[in-house]
Amino acid sequence: MPRRTDTYYEKLQRTRIWRSIFRSGAGYSTLHRALAIQQNIFLHLFSTKVRRRMLTFRATWYLGALTLGTFFILVVTGVLLMLYYHPSVPQAYADMKDLKFVVSSGMFLRNLHRWSAHTMVFLVFAHMFKVFYRGAYRPPRQFNWVIGVVLLLTTLLLSYTGYLLPWDQLAFWAITVGSNIASAVPVFGDKVSFLMLGGHQVNANALLRFYVLHCVILPLAAALLIAVHMWRIRKDGGLYVRQSQPGVESPRESHADEAGVVKV
Amino acid sequence: MGIAMEWISASMKAKLISFWRALFRDPIIPFGLVSLVLLVTLAIIPAKDHFSEWRRYQRQYLRLIHDRGDSVTLERHFQGGIRQIWLPELAVADRCQTCHTALGEASLGDVSTQPFRTHSVIPHRLDEFGCVICHRGQGAATTVAEAHHSTLAPEEPLLPARYLEASCGQCHHVALPGTPNLNEGRDLLARRGCLRCHAVRLPDGSRMTPTDNPQPITHIAAKTTREWIYAWLQTPSGYAASSTMPDYQMSEEDARDISAFLIANSEPLSGSSLPTPLAPSKSAPDTAAGATLYRESSCASCHAIGNAANNMVGGDLGQEPAPELAPEPGPELTRIGSKVKPEWLQSWLQDPRTYNSHTLMPRYRWTPQQLRIVSAYVESRTDPELLAHVHLQPATAQQIANGKALVIEYGCAVCHEIRGIPKPEAYAPELSRVGSKPLAQLVFITGMERTLPAYLNGKIRHPQAFGPGLRMPQYTFTSEQADALTTALLSLTDRSFALPSRLQIPAQAVATYQPAGQAGKLMAELNCFACHRINGRGGDTAPDLTWEGSAVQRAWLDAFLKNPYTLRPAMIRHMPKFNLSDSERAELTGYFVTVYQKPDIDRDSMPLSGYSPALVEQGRQLFYSKYSCQSCHMVNTQKDKGSIGPALTNVGSRLNAAWIDHWLKNPQALRPGTIEPNQNMSDGDASALTAFLMAQKSSGAREAKR
Repeated sequence: MPRRTDTYYEKLQRTRIWRSIFRSGAGYSTLHRALAIQQNIFLHLFSTKVRRRMLTFRATWYLGALTLGTFFILVVTGVLLMLYYHPSVPQAYADMKDLKFVVSSGMFLRNLHRWSAHTMVFLVFAHMFKVFYRGAYRPPRQFNWVIGVVLLLTTLLLSYTGYLLPWDQLAFWAITVGSNIASAVPVFGDKVSFLMLGGHQVNANALLRFYVLHCVILPLAAALLIAVHMWRIRKDGGLYVRQSQPGVESPRESHADEAGVVKV
Repeated sequence: MGIAMEWISASMKAKLISFWRALFRDPIIPFGLVSLVLLVTLAIIPAKDHFSEWRRYQRQYLRLIHDRGDSVTLERHFQGGIRQIWLPELAVADRCQTCHTALGEASLGDVSTQPFRTHSVIPHRLDEFGCVICHRGQGAATTVAEAHHSTLAPEEPLLPARYLEASCGQCHHVALPGTPNLNEGRDLLARRGCLRCHAVRLPDGSRMTPTDNPQPITHIAAKTTREWIYAWLQTPSGYAASSTMPDYQMSEEDARDISAFLIANSEPLSGSSLPTPLAPSKSAPDTAAGATLYRESSCASCHAIGNAANNMVGGDLGQEPAPELAPEPGPELTRIGSKVKPEWLQSWLQDPRTYNSHTLMPRYRWTPQQLRIVSAYVESRTDPELLAHVHLQPATAQQIANGKALVIEYGCAVCHEIRGIPKPEAYAPELSRVGSKPLAQLVFITGMERTLPAYLNGKIRHPQAFGPGLRMPQYTFTSEQADALTTALLSLTDRSFALPSRLQIPAQAVATYQPAGQAGKLMAELNCFACHRINGRGGDTAPDLTWEGSAVQRAWLDAFLKNPYTLRPAMIRHMPKFNLSDSERAELTGYFVTVYQKPDIDRDSMPLSGYSPALVEQGRQLFYSKYSCQSCHMVNTQKDKGSIGPALTNVGSRLNAAWIDHWLKNPQALRPGTIEPNQNMSDGDASALTAFLMAQKSSGAREAKR
């Protein structure tokens, strides 16, 4: 790397305050960059090095990253929506009206949350198909696939619990149908339904339960699982490269299977 | 051409591919594009808010008041932004004033364009009640379409203005002077039998009670013929235009079978209690005497008769001003002669309670001669056309059995007492909250307006149009009555139940006052409460008798009951003469004088006679000069002209001195609403006038004459 004059940014990076915050220190060497990733609590989940080819669109279609993006949008809009929402009957519905008619950009927030939720469900499925058809679920990534399946369930549950919160007719009947399906399970179906609703009918208890699930328990679970999911990508050898044989870590890249030959 | 197309599509394809590559070769590019889209979206959001409907109306309003003389004041009053009335207790957050900016601006009374009209003067403050409590609609909304017309559950559209009184009825369960429609509707609900099938619970837990008085038909065979029942069932209005029995549009077969069952099921009247039949009269009935007796007995107060021009005469007892307190009128008598059997009529007139123990008909103590006259007079009201074409074969057992099934199916026993048929429970849907019924639960006829008021109105007017097999029969309501009923039904809302109880103005409890003992039985038999009110119960066509014992002297009361006359020179109508026996009169007067006392008037504190002539003379001066009582009352029939108040020629024999004294000092305290002015009389003036009035005794000639 050619010698350059120091920019303000580089001066800033040498200050004691900066050094106290970022342990990796400044520098552009490969080591410095790797350290910047590895020593950051958030970034250390990711691989310190990625093949450039894996960052192209065709490699992953960015489906996992896009899913994570919608999740971030959902967290941000969801927190903002929580500022206007009471999980109580009938105030919950009145809050929808307030969001619609008097809260600045209230409708935008609701719509963004709603469409992001739909998009996330779609993207999660697309991501799983992509992973499946590329064979990326195979060892040593088999446990990450399992985490992914649990994340799919978490996503669906988030979607389902969020459905009740507007407390309109659609919400009420959708959850009524859902809980009836649950109670149709033999032997312990009724117990499951009762546990879900906090009673025998969709009412204030159900609303509160769904609210806590939707805003606390499930998002925390999802965040935790996403963290593990990311960490496992690194631990399982980075993003899946096609030519690797099942169970065998490929030592180097080859273009041999770009033609679509699947090695078994 | 084909080659050209191919070339274009090939070049397009190449372009698309190169575009795709350009886009996704470097991940920065799609990232930038997405960011751009987000930025544009974020710019659109505040713009949408800025161009919203309510801001446009507020700008219009500012332009409107800009050129007016009082624009400075108006602009100071105006507050921009979203304006709302928030009443947590009523669950109201009304943002109507965001667009209706000038509701409280009296100086904008000439503005007729909405949404800038001022609100008319009402008894409530707008900021204490909000808008949707009365007008309905969606108060939370800030667009016209959503606020006025939304019908998505649980939102309601605006209530049409003609039903607006319904909103008063959500809190006011007592009749208000300003809500004639609502009052009439509630009265019709109670009076036209609606409440017999439909239960209506009120927020305080009580129920609306029917006030009609349907006939028991346990002994119907004694009263009328099968032919009449047959004709009546098919078209009740053919017999009596004012019939309150709805039209079941019954087929000939159904009417035949039901009439057969009712006659066969009828129980003979028990022999011992039957009044003795009269010997047939030898002479022709005296119609003039009949008409006089009919009038003097005040029959027309309760019973209507259609005259030659087909107008109803009579039966208007206490219709105004408080119909809800008036007793139920009796049946129409236009064609009574074609209905009832003569021997039944005579026994009924002798003692109505033998036939129907709940009847409101007083027992007149007519002499046999009077009975003959009045029954002949009533019997002469016939219509030969009514039953001319009714010819029924003798009933078969099959018809009778079928009739019984039909009686159960039609729900006859909901109103009528029928032997062997139990009264059905919950025959029709409960209407306690019908005013909040969601549209999703209604079945509309094609072509009708899809609103709750339109549905209720249609259902009241043409219940059968809503589908075959519906049990509600056809009533004969005028369109005003249907509107009034709709108003009353629309007042039965969820909100009414949700309101805190301290905001509810409960209905006056139905006065159940019942005088005790033998006198009480007599008063029930004479149906005194049809005209007189005592302790809040009864009609208001005759004086309130609550404190009659303090007011009148016993001897006068006894004489009056023996021979009633009118106290007011301007009035002809007087109380009917009931031919009470001496012991009955003694019972009644004794009860009145003992029980109907005003606690703070000591009847014996002032003597009935023996006032000094000087005091009497002083009273005379006050009567004629200072207070000019003669302008309304007469003491001397020759000299005085006052005919508004009761005649006082005999007042010394009629009233107690203590009562007169109290009355003079404050008439309204003894009879609220009396038109006698309160003169703020001094004690001295009052006692002098009392002395003068007590000196006005009857000469005795009147008593002797009777």
